[in-house]
Amino acid sequence: MALLDVSDLTVTFRTNDGPVNAVNGLDFTLAEKESLAIVGESGSGKSQTAFAIMGLLARNGAATGRVAFDGTDLLSLSPRQLNTVRSNQIGMIFQDPMTSLNPYIRVSDQMAEVLQLHKGLSKTDAITRAVQMLDAVRIPDARARVSMYPHEFSGGMRQRIMIAMALLCRPRLLIADEPTTALDVTVQAQIMTLLGEIREDFDTAVILITHDLGIVADFCDRTLVLYGGQTMEEGPTAPIFADPSHPYTAGLLRAVPRLDREAEVLRTISGEPPDMSNLPAGCPFSPRCEIARDHCPTVKPGLAPMTDSRHRACHATPAEMHEEMRDG
Amino acid sequence: MLAYIVRRLAVAIPTILILVVISFVLMYAAPGGPFNSERPVPPEVMANLEAKYGLDQPMWRQMVTYVWDVVTRFDFGPSFQYTDRTVNDVIAQGFPVTLTYGMWSAVVAMVVGVSLGVAAAVRQNSVLDYMAVGITIGAQALPNFVMAPILVLIFTLWLGWLPGGGWNGGQWEYVIMPVIALSTSYMASIARITRSSMLEVLNSNFIRTARAKGLPMRRVILRHALKPALLPVLSYLGPAMVGMITGSVVVDIIFSTGGIGQFFVNSAFNRDYAVIMGITLLVGVLTISFNLIVDILYAWIDPKIRY
Amino acid sequence: MKLAQPDAKMLQEVGDLAEVRGRSLWADARARFFRNKAALAGLAVLIGVCLFAAFGGLIAQYERDFVDFSLMGANAYQGSPSIATGHYFGVDIDGRDLYARTVQGTRISLLVGIVGALVAVVVGTLYGATAGYIGGRVDNIMMRTVDVLMSIPFMFVLILMLVIFGRSILMLFIGIGLISWLDMARIARGQTLTLKNKEFVEAAVATGVTPLTIILRHVVPNLLGIVIVYATLLVPQMIIFESFISYLGLGVQEPNTSLGALMSLGTKQMNNGTLWMLFYPLFFFLITLFAFFFVGDGLRDALDPKDR
Repeated sequence: MALLDVSDLTVTFRTNDGPVNAVNGLDFTLAEKESLAIVGESGSGKSQTAFAIMGLLARNGAATGRVAFDGTDLLSLSPRQLNTVRSNQIGMIFQDPMTSLNPYIRVSDQMAEVLQLHKGLSKTDAITRAVQMLDAVRIPDARARVSMYPHEFSGGMRQRIMIAMALLCRPRLLIADEPTTALDVTVQAQIMTLLGEIREDFDTAVILITHDLGIVADFCDRTLVLYGGQTMEEGPTAPIFADPSHPYTAGLLRAVPRLDREAEVLRTISGEPPDMSNLPAGCPFSPRCEIARDHCPTVKPGLAPMTDSRHRACHATPAEMHEEMRDG
Repeated sequence: MLAYIVRRLAVAIPTILILVVISFVLMYAAPGGPFNSERPVPPEVMANLEAKYGLDQPMWRQMVTYVWDVVTRFDFGPSFQYTDRTVNDVIAQGFPVTLTYGMWSAVVAMVVGVSLGVAAAVRQNSVLDYMAVGITIGAQALPNFVMAPILVLIFTLWLGWLPGGGWNGGQWEYVIMPVIALSTSYMASIARITRSSMLEVLNSNFIRTARAKGLPMRRVILRHALKPALLPVLSYLGPAMVGMITGSVVVDIIFSTGGIGQFFVNSAFNRDYAVIMGITLLVGVLTISFNLIVDILYAWIDPKIRY
Repeated sequence: MKLAQPDAKMLQEVGDLAEVRGRSLWADARARFFRNKAALAGLAVLIGVCLFAAFGGLIAQYERDFVDFSLMGANAYQGSPSIATGHYFGVDIDGRDLYARTVQGTRISLLVGIVGALVAVVVGTLYGATAGYIGGRVDNIMMRTVDVLMSIPFMFVLILMLVIFGRSILMLFIGIGLISWLDMARIARGQTLTLKNKEFVEAAVATGVTPLTIILRHVVPNLLGIVIVYATLLVPQMIIFESFISYLGLGVQEPNTSLGALMSLGTKQMNNGTLWMLFYPLFFFLITLFAFFFVGDGLRDALDPKDR
C-alpha cells in the first residue's frame, strides 16, 4: 500500500469575487521512503496541496477529495485526530524560516513541546532530544544555543532548526514547502545536502515542493509538474528531465541555465501565470502554449499513461510536441 | 535595562517641570484669585492672606518656592479652600479611593476585554463575533456619564441591589458600579484591539508552524498567539490608564465616591490653586509611571527589544 | 509657435496619463469602499444626521430658546413628545422645545467634532511631516517634545483653561484640537520617513525644490489616505470629549447646547420620568458615533489594501 494516496484533491477558496480553485482534482501516490517533487510556478497550487494534506488551509479554504495516509483519509479526520498525525507522522518545513518560528518563545521550548505532546516526554528529556536533533542538523554548539530566541539565528540556521523540529518525532513523511526559496544560494545548497542526508538517515518519505528545477534533479525519485492546480506530467525524475513530454515542462527546462550546454539562449515561457479565478475550460496551459491546438482551451486533456511509470496530460502526442517545439 | 529606566526617568523630570510651569502660568494668568470669590474681604485681610500663602511674591519666586517644597519635603502646601487642611491631606484622602476603583477597573477592562477579543477572533464571523463587535462598538460610544445614571436607575432604584453612591471604605457593593461605569468603554477598546491583533497573529507563519506541530488549538492560542497579540493592547494601556483617571471625575461626581476627581473639579471651580497643582502633578507623575511600566513590560514580552 | 504645438500636445497626453493613473488608484479604493455594506450604511446615516442638523430646524414649531412657562417644571406630564403640540421630542424641564434643541445640539456636536479633528489633523500632519522630512537632530527634538507633551494630563489642563479663561466655544475647539494632534504627528512622521526615500521625493530634491514645497506638494498629498482615515476616526473621539466637558458644565453655554449638554440634562431628570430628555439626544449621539466608526473602518479597509 502506498504511504500517501491523494485522489481527486480539490482546494477551493471563497473570495469576494466568488470561489477560486487553487487545486483541481489532483491525483498522486507516494510510496514509503520515496521522494516526490511537486514542481510549478508560483500560483500553481503546489503549496496549497501541501497545506491541504496537513489540514493547514487558510480559514476561507476547503479541500475535497481523498488524502489517504497509511489508509486513513486525513480530510475526514476530526481536528483532534489530525493533531496526532501532524508532526508525529507527517512533518512539515515551510518556505520562510525567518517568520516560521515563533519569535516570542525560546527554541528549546518550541522544540520540546512537540515531544512533550506526541511522545509524552518530560521537559528535560525533550530538551535533551531537541539538542541531539540540532546536532544532527549541524547547528554548532547546540547545547548552549538551544535556549536562544529565533531572532538570534541566521536564516539558514533557522531553517535547520525547522528541519530538526519537523524530524523530532521521526515522521514517516516530510513535506518541504520551498525550503530554500528564502535563503542565499550557498545556504540553499547546504540545506538541500542536509535534507538529502536526513532522508537517508531517517528513512523518511519526502515531498519537495519547489519552483526550482535545479534542486529537483539530484534529489527526488519522481517529479510531478503542476500547472493551474492540475498535473501536466508526472513520472520518474530522470526521464522527465531528459525527455519532457509536456510543452510546459519543456518550457520550464529551457528556462533553466545549464552548464553542460554551450551558449544556448535561455528562453522563457511567454505570458502570465494563470488567473486561477478564470481558468480555461480545457487545458489550463493552453493560453501560453506555443503548440496549442484549436480545441485545447475548451477540451480538457486527461492525464493518460505514456509509459508504465509516466503520465501526461496533453492533446499533442510527444512526437508532435517535439516536432513543433523545435520549430518554435 | 537599568540604564534605560534611568534614561527614561531623566526625561520624566523635565516633563514634570514643564507640567508645573504650564499649570502655574495658567493659574497665574487667571483673573481673580482664590479669596475674591464670595463676599468682599477687607484689603488688609486680603494682604495678610496673600502674604500667608505667598501670593504677594513675584510669579517666578512663587514657582521656585513651590517646586522646592515639593521636591525637598514632598509638600504641596496648604489648601486655599479647605483652610485647615494641606494639599497632602486632600490627596491622602482622595487618592486611595481613586486608586482602588481605578485598579479594579483596569483589571476588569483587561480580563474581560482580552477574553472577549480573543473569543471573537478565534470564532471570526460567527454569531459570537458579531455580538462581541456590536457590544464593543456600543460600549465605546456610550459616555460614562450616561451609563452611570442608567446603572443607578436599574440597580439602585428599580432592583434595589446596590447602593446608589458613597464609598463606605471601599466595600464591594459600593465599588461595583463605579468600576462598571469606568471600565466599560476601555474594556470595549481593549476587546477591539485584541480582536484585530489576534486575527493578524493567527494568520502569521509561526502560527501555521504551531498547528503543523499538532498542538491543540487551545495551546496554539494561549501559548503561541496570545503574547504577540497582546503587544498592541499593552501600548494602549498607558493612554487607557490616563483616560480612566480623567473618567474618575465623572464617577466621583455621580457616585459621590470622594476620589481625587471630585476634589479636582471642586478646586477648579473654587480656584484652589494648590489642590489643582497637586492633583495635576500627581496625575502627570502617574501618567509617566504608567508609560514607563508599559515600556518595561513590552521589553519583557518582546525578546527582540533590548535596551 | 510651431514648436510649442507638439509640446503642448505631449504635455496634454502626459496629463491624461497621470489623470488616468490617479483616478484608477482612488477609484479602486472607492470600489472597495462601496462594497462594504457597513460603511455604506454608516455613510447614509451620517448624511441623514447632517441633513437633520442643517435643515431640521425648518420644521421645528418653536424657537430653541423659547420658554413655555406653562410647561416649565410640568414637562413630565404635559410635555411628552407629541406631533399634535408640535413638540416632536417633548419639552425639557424649562419648557423648551427639545426637538429644536436637539437639532442645534447635533449641529454643535458635529461642528466641534469636525473642527476639533481638523485642527488636530492639520497641526499633527504638518508637525509630523516636518519632523520626519528634516530628520536628524530636529526630528529628535520635535518628537521628544511630543513624548513630553503626551505625558501631560491634558484633560485636566483643559478643564483648568476653561475655568480660568472662561467657557467659550473657541476655547473648546482649540483645547480639544490641541490635545489630539500628538498621535497624528507620530503617524505622519512614520509615514514621512518611508516616503522620504521614494524616487519622486529624491527627484524633487535633485531639481532644487525647497523643503517647504516638497513637504506641501509631495509628502502631505501622499499622507492623505492615512490622514483621512485618522480624521474620520478622530471625529467621534472629539464628540465624546466635548460631551464630557459639557457634562462638567464647561462646554457649550446656554442658551446654546450640544448633544453632550442635552444628555447631561437628560440624565439629571431621569428620575422624573422624562426619559425622552435623555433618549432623543442619546439616540442622535450614538448613531452619529456609529456612523463615523463604520465609515472610518470602511475607509481604512479601502485605502489600505494590504490590510484587507
